[in-house]
Amino acid sequence: MNTPFRLRQVRTIAQLELKRVFFSRRSFWVYLLALLPAVIFIGHGIDVKVRQSRSASRTVSREILASIQLGDTPESVIERAGEPIDDHQWNWKEQNREVAHRRMMYFDGQDRVNLHFQDGLLASKRQSPLINAEEDRKVFAGVFQYFYLRLAIFFGCLGIFMNLFRGEMLDKTLHFWFLAPARRETLLAGKYLAGLAASIVVFTGGVALCFAAMLWPQSAADTQAYWQGPGPAHLFAYLAAAALACIGYGSVFLAAGMLLRNPIVPAVVLLLWEGINGFLPAILKKLSVLYYVQALCPVPPPLDASAPPLARLLLTPSEPPPAAVAAIGLLALTALVLWSASRAVRKLEINYGAES
Amino acid sequence: MAVYKRGYQRYQGPLTSRTARLLVLPWFAWRRLFEQRLLIVLLIVSLFWPLACAVFIYLANHSELWAGLDREVSGLLEINGRFFLTFMNVQAVLAVVLAAFAGPSLVAPDLANNALPLYFSRPLSRTGYALARMAVLAGLLSPVTWIPGLLLFAMQAGMAGWTWLASYWTLAIGLFAGFLFLILQLALVSLTCSAYVKWRAIAGALILAFFFVLAGVAETIDGVLRVTWGAFVNPLRMMYRLWCELLGVAPPENPGLAGSIVMLLVLALILVWVLSRKLRPVEVVS
Repeated sequence: MNTPFRLRQVRTIAQLELKRVFFSRRSFWVYLLALLPAVIFIGHGIDVKVRQSRSASRTVSREILASIQLGDTPESVIERAGEPIDDHQWNWKEQNREVAHRRMMYFDGQDRVNLHFQDGLLASKRQSPLINAEEDRKVFAGVFQYFYLRLAIFFGCLGIFMNLFRGEMLDKTLHFWFLAPARRETLLAGKYLAGLAASIVVFTGGVALCFAAMLWPQSAADTQAYWQGPGPAHLFAYLAAAALACIGYGSVFLAAGMLLRNPIVPAVVLLLWEGINGFLPAILKKLSVLYYVQALCPVPPPLDASAPPLARLLLTPSEPPPAAVAAIGLLALTALVLWSASRAVRKLEINYGAES
Repeated sequence: MAVYKRGYQRYQGPLTSRTARLLVLPWFAWRRLFEQRLLIVLLIVSLFWPLACAVFIYLANHSELWAGLDREVSGLLEINGRFFLTFMNVQAVLAVVLAAFAGPSLVAPDLANNALPLYFSRPLSRTGYALARMAVLAGLLSPVTWIPGLLLFAMQAGMAGWTWLASYWTLAIGLFAGFLFLILQLALVSLTCSAYVKWRAIAGALILAFFFVLAGVAETIDGVLRVTWGAFVNPLRMMYRLWCELLGVAPPENPGLAGSIVMLLVLALILVWVLSRKLRPVEVVS
């Protein structure tokens, strides 16, 4: 029973488990979690493309749009710029009198110009690009940090890794594994590797698809400039952060799945722990998965200026460590948790009667 | 009497009332739930915030304790709809955690162990069974939601006097109704998750994920599509909008009240539909 033999056992267990993790009915909601943001980004892309095709046929020159001044009437604007792409009129009661509102939109080939008339006079003029690549990247950063790291990967790993041991307990099949001539640590390693492979494939795949969906509606020039600039490094950083989050959360939930019968307890404690990370002293911050993973994220997420100060403090990432330190720190944390899990699995006793 | 004459005979003894029959299930469920130490700990933790609010009310009603503070800080010590809204928000999160902890053990074990035929062979309808299970959660969540809320209201009314009560009596109704809607929503989600996945361990995580992930999805929709209707997929946000109306607090721009009510009703109908499909007295094995 030498090391290569044990490694072969680990590989065999991982291969057997992989099929169960990837193709079981319980895995569908994990796929859903991973792919949902990509679907929303694709929806955004379709919306932008439709608007682009609608606007392209009615482009107005920039000079004409620049000549429109506050105080102009809708008729004079239409006379100069032609029929707008969008034209809405409504009345609104303000201070006991009806105020006539009208909103018109023009397109100059790149930007949208929104004109808002009140009582027949131009009250405001706003220019905004049909698609803002920089803004989209910030939104993606926000989706990655708030949705993927804090929710999708968290709950996805909870489902995948807790299921590895606790699921077998519920299916009353764990004793088959324990009867096999393999050490329990080998079984643990095999199951962890299977869960890890599945979670990394699902979530990095989801992040990559989401990234592609984010870039899809952007102009060719913007996309090319991004790919020649920081684009590949950003993509690599996001994928690495997602993979590291799977490694970290996976180890924690695998250990929790063996030690505790109810996954709510570790889920709530960890959610709370990760949530209050910003308040914790420096030494305790290092015991959080999010602390290391956020350090790898290349773009800071956008923060809602109107959010309450407490919420802003909770959502603001704490002072991040250097990327290499973050990766090593997380791997060390994972090794520590897996070592504790390997100690626990040796003493694990099956009591199917207590499960249902 | 000869054995062959012992055929079926209807029970002739005294019958219990329908309500009494329904209360049998919560009675046993509560006993089993309160055997769990962790639940007791959670319940105690859930009462910290009401206690802090009680201290706040005491301070707010003793102006001599904050006489030296400037006007802005004094303004924060006012007890009004916003104060009770903050109280409700915090307790709602704790109620979600409690529901995620206690909810899964309501239906999942009965389904996993094929115990439903045993229930339904007694004078208990499917609706009755579901209502009884919801009553378990209502009984568990009430001591952390509307009961401390009304106690705080009574404390404030007692300390501030009739003038305050005359101006703010609607808060008590709003608070009670708001928490009642929350309990109903939590109970429906808990029962449905519990019935859907059958396993207690997974159902708890699903309840938690239901609220947290939907909140994340709502924010993602708003952020990516630059819209404001994303809140319509966040049940707690819609509940918050309803509470703003009930407590007379200036509501956020989105979601709208009518939309929130409609979406909450749609969500409730979907949950009831899933629940009715899962709660079947017999299982047809194909």
